[in-house]
Amino acid sequence: MNFFRHRNFARWLRWSAVAAGLLFASASFAADPIKIGQVAALSGPSAQSGEAMTRGLKLAIDEINAKGGLLGGRKLELIQRDDESNPPKGLIAARELIFKEKVAAFFGGLDTPVSLAIVPVANKEKVPFIGIWAAGTAITRNGANPNYVFRVSAVDALVDVRLLKHAEKLGAKKAGLILINNPWGESNEKGLKAAAENNKGITIVGVEKFENNDVDLVPQLTRLKQAGADVLILVGNAAPGAQVMKSRERMGWKVPVVSHWGISGGRFPELAGPTAGDAQFVQTYSFFGEQSPTGKKVIAELSKKYPEIKGPADIFSPVGTANAYDAMHLLAAAIEKAGSTDGDKIRQALESLGSYDGLIKSYKQPFTADNHDALGPDDYVMVHYQGNDIHPVK
Amino acid sequence: MSWREFFLSAVFVALAVAAFAYADGYQIYILALVGLTTIVGVGLNILLGMSGQISLGHVGFYAIGAYAVAILTVNHGWNFWPALAVAVIATGIAGGALALPALRVRGPYLAMVTIAFGFVIEQVAAEWKEVTGGWNGLLNIPQPSILGYEFSERATAFLVLFLAIASLGFFAWLSRNAWGQAMRAIRDSEVAGQSIGLNPVLVRVAAFVLSAMMAGLAGGVFASITGFISPESFPFFQSIMFLLVVMIGGADRTLGPLLGAIVVVLLPEVLSFLAEYRLLFVGVLLLLVLRLAPGGIVGLAERLFKKHSDGPSPRPAESIPALLSRPAAEKLTVRDLSIAFGGIRAVTGLNFEALAGKITSVIGPNGAGKTTALNLVCGFYKPSTGSILIGSQEVAGMPSHAVAQAGIARTYQTTQLFGQMSVIDNVMIAFRKGRLGRRGASQTANGDERRLAESLLSFVGYTGPIDRRASALPHVDKRLVEIARALATRPSVLLLDEPAAGLSATDTKALGVLMRQIAALNIAVILVEHDMDLVMGISDRIVVLDAGSKIADGGPDTVRNDAQVLKAYLGEGTVHDRSRAKPLAAQENVVAVKDLAASYGAVAALHGVDLTVNEGELVCVLGANGAGKSTLMRALSGLHRPVRGEVQLNGNRIESLVAHSVAKHGLVLVPEGRQVFPELSVVDNIRLGGFSRPAAELEADVERMLTRFPRLRERANQRAGLLSGGEQQMLAIARGLVAKPKVLMLDEPSLGLAPALIENLYSILAELRDQGITILLVDQMAGLALSVADRAYILQSGAVVQSGPARDFSEDTALQKAYLGEASHA
Amino acid sequence: MLFLVPALITGLGLGSMYGLLALGFHVTYAVSNTVNFAQGSTMMLGAVLTFTFGFTLGLPMWLAIVLALLACAAWGVFVERIAVRPFVARGSDSWLMATVALGIILDNVVLFTFGKDPRGMPPSVLTSDAISIAGVRIQFLQILIPVVGLSIAAALHFVSTRTKYGKALLAVVQNAEAARLMGINVNIAIMAAFAVSGLFAGVAGILIAPLFTISSSMGTLFGIKAFAVAILGGISSAWGVVIAGLIYGVAEALVTATIGSTYTQIVTFSLVIVILALRPNGLFGRAATKKV
Repeated sequence: MNFFRHRNFARWLRWSAVAAGLLFASASFAADPIKIGQVAALSGPSAQSGEAMTRGLKLAIDEINAKGGLLGGRKLELIQRDDESNPPKGLIAARELIFKEKVAAFFGGLDTPVSLAIVPVANKEKVPFIGIWAAGTAITRNGANPNYVFRVSAVDALVDVRLLKHAEKLGAKKAGLILINNPWGESNEKGLKAAAENNKGITIVGVEKFENNDVDLVPQLTRLKQAGADVLILVGNAAPGAQVMKSRERMGWKVPVVSHWGISGGRFPELAGPTAGDAQFVQTYSFFGEQSPTGKKVIAELSKKYPEIKGPADIFSPVGTANAYDAMHLLAAAIEKAGSTDGDKIRQALESLGSYDGLIKSYKQPFTADNHDALGPDDYVMVHYQGNDIHPVK
Repeated sequence: MSWREFFLSAVFVALAVAAFAYADGYQIYILALVGLTTIVGVGLNILLGMSGQISLGHVGFYAIGAYAVAILTVNHGWNFWPALAVAVIATGIAGGALALPALRVRGPYLAMVTIAFGFVIEQVAAEWKEVTGGWNGLLNIPQPSILGYEFSERATAFLVLFLAIASLGFFAWLSRNAWGQAMRAIRDSEVAGQSIGLNPVLVRVAAFVLSAMMAGLAGGVFASITGFISPESFPFFQSIMFLLVVMIGGADRTLGPLLGAIVVVLLPEVLSFLAEYRLLFVGVLLLLVLRLAPGGIVGLAERLFKKHSDGPSPRPAESIPALLSRPAAEKLTVRDLSIAFGGIRAVTGLNFEALAGKITSVIGPNGAGKTTALNLVCGFYKPSTGSILIGSQEVAGMPSHAVAQAGIARTYQTTQLFGQMSVIDNVMIAFRKGRLGRRGASQTANGDERRLAESLLSFVGYTGPIDRRASALPHVDKRLVEIARALATRPSVLLLDEPAAGLSATDTKALGVLMRQIAALNIAVILVEHDMDLVMGISDRIVVLDAGSKIADGGPDTVRNDAQVLKAYLGEGTVHDRSRAKPLAAQENVVAVKDLAASYGAVAALHGVDLTVNEGELVCVLGANGAGKSTLMRALSGLHRPVRGEVQLNGNRIESLVAHSVAKHGLVLVPEGRQVFPELSVVDNIRLGGFSRPAAELEADVERMLTRFPRLRERANQRAGLLSGGEQQMLAIARGLVAKPKVLMLDEPSLGLAPALIENLYSILAELRDQGITILLVDQMAGLALSVADRAYILQSGAVVQSGPARDFSEDTALQKAYLGEASHA
Repeated sequence: MLFLVPALITGLGLGSMYGLLALGFHVTYAVSNTVNFAQGSTMMLGAVLTFTFGFTLGLPMWLAIVLALLACAAWGVFVERIAVRPFVARGSDSWLMATVALGIILDNVVLFTFGKDPRGMPPSVLTSDAISIAGVRIQFLQILIPVVGLSIAAALHFVSTRTKYGKALLAVVQNAEAARLMGINVNIAIMAAFAVSGLFAGVAGILIAPLFTISSSMGTLFGIKAFAVAILGGISSAWGVVIAGLIYGVAEALVTATIGSTYTQIVTFSLVIVILALRPNGLFGRAATKKV
């Protein structure tokens, strides 16, 4: 009875042979432009973070191309792939960028597990992979030698120390952790617990998790309140973070909130409502306040390119844009210095870059062979919202 | 496998090997994913395609397999191969465990159970940190190795290729194996599967376990080839993608999952410039495939390119007596059998015997409990008391597949073939009597099931092609194949439930001959049938039921002349004279039916009926069960679209209108079985009868109905479901009258009512008639119906055989003949 | 145990939303034995459109709500025509996957039109003011949500038992063929049921919007939980699904507040499996009679 099914095999075979041929033929040969890859969430709930990073990368690439490109006139070309916040998808995308697009180097996205999934293939194939958001400690400290993974972003382990210190400064002794239930939350749970062990002034009295789409977090907060927490340490992105703030408001609980940087993007003040300003959070960069010349230039370019940006308040997920902008310029400097798009040479060039006057700060040898993180604890600032503006905490 | 299939498969494998050998690092990974998705797809195809069960949580099994391998290799330093073996076994166990709740639920309920399963697995993986690494997952999962040689990525990909081809081969093998056929059988008809001895629980669990194991196998290799897994590797959405693989490729097609995997995995890569629109694309693709190509790519290709061969006609080869005849004659003995549904006794204290080699018929008017008795005997209902013996073996209370294995086979009133399976496969699976392994095969007489099946088909008189899909057969062939299938279980007792329904006179005659031949094989044949010519012609013994009890038992002549039987069929006769006080003057006709023909699928139920109803008249349509009376009513009321002919209501053609429009035109049916709305109050039921009328006029008429039927007023606010049968009939009539019909049609109003209530009912009908309401009445109680009717029609086998003024019928023997058949001529 | 009171209020609020969505599943299932599996997406549509009409386009709030609800009802009808009816006519179960597909399409179309950026309703009387009872703060919206949820359930009950068209719908549920004979157009009744179902989802979306962030993915998990509720309640029983919604919401909140949020989903979804294994027709559903 399956006879005809097998007979159609013949036709399908021919078709699939053609399809396979097309697939393989489309593998292109590295031509004139230098291809730079980006693997980030371009769809789904984290899509905005991907967009913010894309903006930073494109801004920097346009600047570099306007100046005539790299390596004697070769233009940069950005190749984007969506990881849908899903590690296997990210791995496929990374392989595609490496093997099919033959990128010189590529950038990672928001999600720590996606970056972790990509790390082995980047090291194996010797293609520099630069994290510009995901803060998971193990991404850059992955044990590989030589290590092709770099980062221009915060590192959870260091941020967590800073968060507890800040909580202590606010007079708190008992911290209640309220963490997003995903790898990022878990990375910080580990980091915060480690930080608390080294900090005699503050103890963790409870750990609660919430989902991206949780509506009401009163039950979780009730548990922390019951445990006697006198400060909340919040890790989560703007939308779910706002749910924490709204639930806290609903309970009428006036406890201080110290937060990781997730809430910095995505219209947190609008989402969280009147108590948005109560959350004090960490940033690598703020477009508010006095700007350096680079800062002014970037804001001007952004509003030119994206007309909906009228001022700093319209730059969503600012750290993504800022990190991406600096990372792209650092990579360009390394390619120029290496004089080649060879991955190993770029790695060596990155590890021995000189100083660069960037958006976030003036980098003085941003990476070394041992330290692949360009930003450190001194580069973090504690800020909070006043209306839609972000101001440093006094 | 023919040489051609072999050649093509070899070419395909060679091409695949070449692709795997020359692909670069990205392509090899994608190809490996296609392979892994194919394996999961094949597994899901067994579950969804073969056994008809949905799973929206298959990613859970994939995750269990992946985690088992990752945990054992990373945390415990195991070698890949034993870890993979444990992974497959573990998912098999998980599949079996999930199958247990899944067995009890269907459709959306099953979907929910599987969704919940997927979520629970994902969450456990995230929270069981010490073992699973929590959200950050497990890194550095080793590649397989043999004797210290560690596989390269490409070597692992070749392993995937091998497993994918093996899984496709496994599906092709299972497809032809008894287990695969049993899954399809249970999918197509669970009851029929049981009645050939298949245990649906066993078959369904097997499908779940196999399906889970294949997902676990793929998951285990996936863990190794990606080198990293975390809970986010297994999102809910992935389960939908797996389903998409099966649906796009073509459910229950061997190559479906392969093509589905190619589309689902490769297409997004080829279209990667669409990056962020990928999900949108997936949604649109899914909808399009479901709407336009329900058989998936393979189904579409079959439709476009298939030169379908239905195969040859069956060849008689085996001696049927050698195959079927029973050395020891075993009779069926039913003693004191009773069952009640919700307090109503459907069968009470039934005793009868069916001897081997004899035909025993069970007859009785509609609602007498014949089918219930049949369902009791073959184990679909559990009797509250009584015993059922085959020879001396007690089968009462056994599940129906065990009853079938004990030797009772049956056919169904509406044929229950395994529709998507071929004719020959329908018969072959029945040989096994539920024994699906190798042992089952050796128990057939000489192992060559196909030849035996052909012999059986030829024995029952089936001459059509043996490879045709059973659902595509003409009606008469369905009946024959069903009988062949029942015989294939080599039964001691064969139950036939209305085998002649819908058959032509010639076919019926042939059927009668076949039944005698079957009985001659020393099988006890039990026949439930409405065709009285057939029953009277071939039965050795007839058991007559009425209202759940036996009222007569004996040979055809005894039964035909039994007063109680006549009464049960024809009613009490004209106890009260209800004829009109003064004759009706000639009137215009309201309803005119010309050459009306209707059929159910291939079964013709009405052949060109002509009928008129005049203004103010009461016309009754008489005839035995299955003569087409109810079909006529349904065709007139728009519930059943006729295939030919016309229906005029006051000169307007209405035969093509749908039911609710026919009702609005004023042709209102009071359906068989009352069909009141049980949860609504009595008064609301009446109001709904006037649904199309303006509310203002309606209330007054509802009030009039309550006045006319005082019993209804007493119970106006009770739920209609709580009324007695007689009250429900009043309610149904009131509900019909309140619509102010031009013609009120009543289908079997006396059915299932006590005699006193029937008298009362007919008095009411006479009153309505005298008030000038035009009525078309169908009733099995011929005497009663004639007592109120002006004119009558007799239907037999879907055609009007006689018509005229009602009084001419009263003593007519033609009527009796129509109900109880002619003398024997078998 | 007083500290559990806020969690309890949360549970009742969310539970009545689950119940409301589940009621949408119930209405269509009862009339046609089918559901819009992507009911969560319809809920999202209600919230997104209310925000778009009311704040982006600046229409008066009442008008924004009315338009959003009409759109949700229309979407329900659209789903029935595109993804349900063709499959039912073919005798296929694929409507389940087809409605999933339409849900994916709707989510993504909203993602690209409404934007990837979640939005929030500005604060209003509903969320900023609160009353305090025995030290427990309750926002107006927290009272409003269960009140509206239960009122709608009651309204459904009233309409279906007291009005002509509601009774017609019940008649279709109980006996579609007999309903046809009464002159009731069953196809229209089914469309109406899908419209009502969409309407309920829209109301849930609008009520939840001030508590929640508005984005294209806000409905997904909510929809799945509501489906679990509908199944648990026994999808054929209107009061069953509402009560199951409240039970589910309260159970979820209490598990979180006592055992901790880590285990909430594991416990609730495992319960779903166990309950269905023990009571295949849900907590309040009735078994269908087996016919041969």
